[in-house]
Amino acid sequence: MSVVDTRKTHPLIDTTEPNLLEDIFDYGLPPKIRFDGPLIEYIDGQPVEFDPNSAKQRDIFITDTTFRDGQQARPPYAVDQMVHLYDLLAKLGGPNGVIRQTEFFLYTKNDRETLDRCRELGHEFPECTGWIRAVKGDFRLVQEAGLKETGMLTSSSDYHIFNKLKFKSRQACMDSYCEVVDAAFEAGVRPRCHLEDVTRADWDGFVMPFVDRLMRMSEQVPDELSVKIRICDTMGFGLHYPGAELPRSVPKMIYKLNQECGVPSERLEWHGHNDFHRVHANGATAWLYGCDALNGTLFGFGERCGNPPVEGAIIEYISLKEDLCGIQTEVITEIADYMRSIDFPIPENYPLVGKHFNTTRAGIHAGGLRQDERIYNIFDTAKLLNRPPRVALTDKSGTDGVAHWVNEFFGLKGEDRISKIKCHKVARWVMDQYEVDGRITAISDEELEAKVQELMPQYWEKYATSASAR
Amino acid sequence: MASVQDRVIEVTTRVLQLDPSEVKPEHSFTSDLGAESVQSIELVAMFEEEFGIEMDEDAALAVTTVAAAANYIEGVCKQQGVEV
Repeated sequence: MSVVDTRKTHPLIDTTEPNLLEDIFDYGLPPKIRFDGPLIEYIDGQPVEFDPNSAKQRDIFITDTTFRDGQQARPPYAVDQMVHLYDLLAKLGGPNGVIRQTEFFLYTKNDRETLDRCRELGHEFPECTGWIRAVKGDFRLVQEAGLKETGMLTSSSDYHIFNKLKFKSRQACMDSYCEVVDAAFEAGVRPRCHLEDVTRADWDGFVMPFVDRLMRMSEQVPDELSVKIRICDTMGFGLHYPGAELPRSVPKMIYKLNQECGVPSERLEWHGHNDFHRVHANGATAWLYGCDALNGTLFGFGERCGNPPVEGAIIEYISLKEDLCGIQTEVITEIADYMRSIDFPIPENYPLVGKHFNTTRAGIHAGGLRQDERIYNIFDTAKLLNRPPRVALTDKSGTDGVAHWVNEFFGLKGEDRISKIKCHKVARWVMDQYEVDGRITAISDEELEAKVQELMPQYWEKYATSASAR
Repeated sequence: MASVQDRVIEVTTRVLQLDPSEVKPEHSFTSDLGAESVQSIELVAMFEEEFGIEMDEDAALAVTTVAAAANYIEGVCKQQGVEV
């Protein structure tokens, strides 16, 4: 057997000027996502091309389920809290409706009050939709609330059909779901069928026949009532890898629904779970293969391991579109601060909003930050998130780390920055904490502030007023 | 009055807690005398205090040996009009 030699030579392109690839890593935006060719997926043995750049042109968007799936995983929010969060979601998504919809339970008095108060705010986006079981009786709630669209549970795996819902057959199950869809049509409400547990379902035997029937039913009603399909990866089994097989393949699921069943991209929505750490990648993959809506929750909080994080989807959206598109990214920080204030825990290392998401502890990294902030900061986090990069001090921080902390604390830039030499007493105190006193925890900002006041009194006197004002 | 080099050695022994006999002009602060990161900064800060001068941080930290430090400090003193 002959072996093709794929090796090439790669001569150094010498230069004295750095190539910082700023076309992709424009510091004022999240790094841009570019593709240089089609994606190939083998569907039923045949190669099918997908153009990932189509996501840049399509009207992709985010839908939110913080108040439904997000709330299923925690004690109920107070009405005021939900109304405030809804207001912030509207601000974050901006006037173009990048966060297009959010869904509400309709079962309790509080649910109804929340919905009414959110709608009273008068925001065009996110549009309020409902969520009900696929039970005709529940439909009364949607009608009473005057909603234009509701999600309904149409579980699609045999785990659910037979073992949970106790249907006698798939046909009985499908007929029952379709009765509720008909009831929705009759009431003038668009049904959004949530194909629960679809990544563990029989696609040929149930999922596609059911969706085919839904599409046929949709042909009989005006466009604005036609069925939407939410692809629910209930247990987080979905796989974004090319070549993975159904029912776990995200690309194949999207293709089958979009191209074979004829569900238009704008009526397809991906809803994931994070049981295997794939939640964001799966959601973004759904966008690339032709599904326009990505459903998520703030900070990914949801049942068990959670859902696609809305703020992650926001950054992905900007990276794909290469533009802010009216999104107010700094609201991500505002929402995180609010969530903390209502006792919602956010891990310190959580991307984009954790206390230490852009904090470096290593002295050598702090040295890099001192020379050029871009070296160890993902993008201009001060501009986009109101969060300048920070240095947390430990025995690994070195004098670079101490000097960076002091200058950030005083808000000094450029020529005004205090040199490492002038910070030596604080640096010594930090080192002694570990080497002499045997400390094993990071040093808090409060401790450092006190030490700067004690050991750098001349600078404290000069700059502390401006520091406390910030 | 002690020479610049003698004063550099005196500061070095104090900061690194060494005996004066252990410090030679040709010694490297880091590899021979064991100065760690924070101690290098402390040495520069103490030289500034001893001679009443301000040194450029990067240039001062680039100096490796005791003799080179004495030379560098003499130059800075001259520039800044400090008699030594």
